[in-house]
Amino acid sequence: MRGNAGVIWMSIVALFLGVLAVTQIKAQDVYTRSLELETPSSLTTLIANLAERNNALRDEIFDMKLRTEAARDDAANGRGTLTEAQRQLAQLRVFAARTSVKGQGISVRIDGAFDDKALSDLVNEMRNAGAEAISLNTVRVGPRSYFGITTDKSLTVDGSAIRGPWTVSAVGAPEVMYVAMTRTGGIIGQFELIYRGTRFNVSRESALDLPSLANPPRG
Amino acid sequence: MATLTARAPRRIGAPIVLILPALLFGLLVSVQWRTQLERSELSVRYNAPLLDAARSLQSEQEVLKKQLADLRAQLDEIQRGAASQSTASRDLQAQIEDLRSAAGLTERTGDGVQIVLDDAHTTVTAPAANVDKSICHSTDLTDIINAAWRGGAQAIAVNGERVVGSTSVYCVGSTIMVNGTLMSPAFTISVIGPQNELLGAYDDPNELKDVKQRRDVYGLGFRVTRASGLRVPAYAGALNVKYATPTER
Repeated sequence: MRGNAGVIWMSIVALFLGVLAVTQIKAQDVYTRSLELETPSSLTTLIANLAERNNALRDEIFDMKLRTEAARDDAANGRGTLTEAQRQLAQLRVFAARTSVKGQGISVRIDGAFDDKALSDLVNEMRNAGAEAISLNTVRVGPRSYFGITTDKSLTVDGSAIRGPWTVSAVGAPEVMYVAMTRTGGIIGQFELIYRGTRFNVSRESALDLPSLANPPRG
Repeated sequence: MATLTARAPRRIGAPIVLILPALLFGLLVSVQWRTQLERSELSVRYNAPLLDAARSLQSEQEVLKKQLADLRAQLDEIQRGAASQSTASRDLQAQIEDLRSAAGLTERTGDGVQIVLDDAHTTVTAPAANVDKSICHSTDLTDIINAAWRGGAQAIAVNGERVVGSTSVYCVGSTIMVNGTLMSPAFTISVIGPQNELLGAYDDPNELKDVKQRRDVYGLGFRVTRASGLRVPAYAGALNVKYATPTER
């Protein structure tokens, strides 16, 4: 009888042990990601970013509705949709980097050591801040552009080597991009800590001229 | 007496058998309790309305993207119809279609490679510095995308979000946004393009050194495989061309 009781107790303990071990193994999955675990500060940043994206979508939907109605009227009245087609072509040529462009924006001048990973991060940050067209010195960055570095520390865009000092120019809302680059803890601040001997100068530009993509990819 | 001596080891043996599991039990209870405690500290009560707002904005974004895609399709249909009326319209329409494809505004299907990037799944409690090396970061994604373009990629999508000229991979806390869409690991990167060149780019020991080292040492999930019949959706976000004016005709 006593022997049976011991077996029962040991079974209960073993069962608990098993359940806890499994729970613990799941809990110790190296890192748990969930929106619920974000801090209020991160959530606020995410919300601001989502709201900004949604506003841009709403603006474009509003614009597209007007253009669709106008094109429908033109087509119905036999006028053709040449105006709309030209407008769309101009927009797409900018978006695909198939035309040189001008406009306001910002420039980041980099004088000193820098590398391709940092350049990729800078371009990514500019795109997130709404850059519509980007170039490195006189080379346009396209939708499929890739970055590299040569043995003599020149940066490359799509395989073309560009020696420093470098100027990364971006056409877009100057104030938004300027603040995104220079805010406390922002990308330029991080670069200044990492590349201590390098000078970074961010400036608002009222009139930038960026070239078109030199060799648009096929396919 | 002899009987008592013979029974003694059995009396001692039974508690030992119970003590060991009990010790383990206690250890696991305390570790479990500490884990729960850390989590509850993270879940701040003010998060609830913020979480609701974030989720609601994300749902709204999906609806808006669908509306925009529908409008683009409508306008495209009207223009295709009108393009048949004159040679000038036909030429313009052909250019538009070529650019839409180059810009990532059309769906692509084809062969290529698929990359899976994921946080490490290990049962070992790692120090904070190692945790950082065991999980995927936004820069890992940008490096993987960079290697794909270098390998001749024609179209890329990250968890179904098309990578285009305006795409940014943005990290806030532990959440990653691609084209403004909230994402968490595992990330599946679909790349359409020449398979051998793409595999060659990822096999290049100079590419993704950090990712490969973290895979080998810290268990970061990173796998590249040949894939056939991949589907990469069209970009559904805003084009946002407001400040740049074309200077070529």
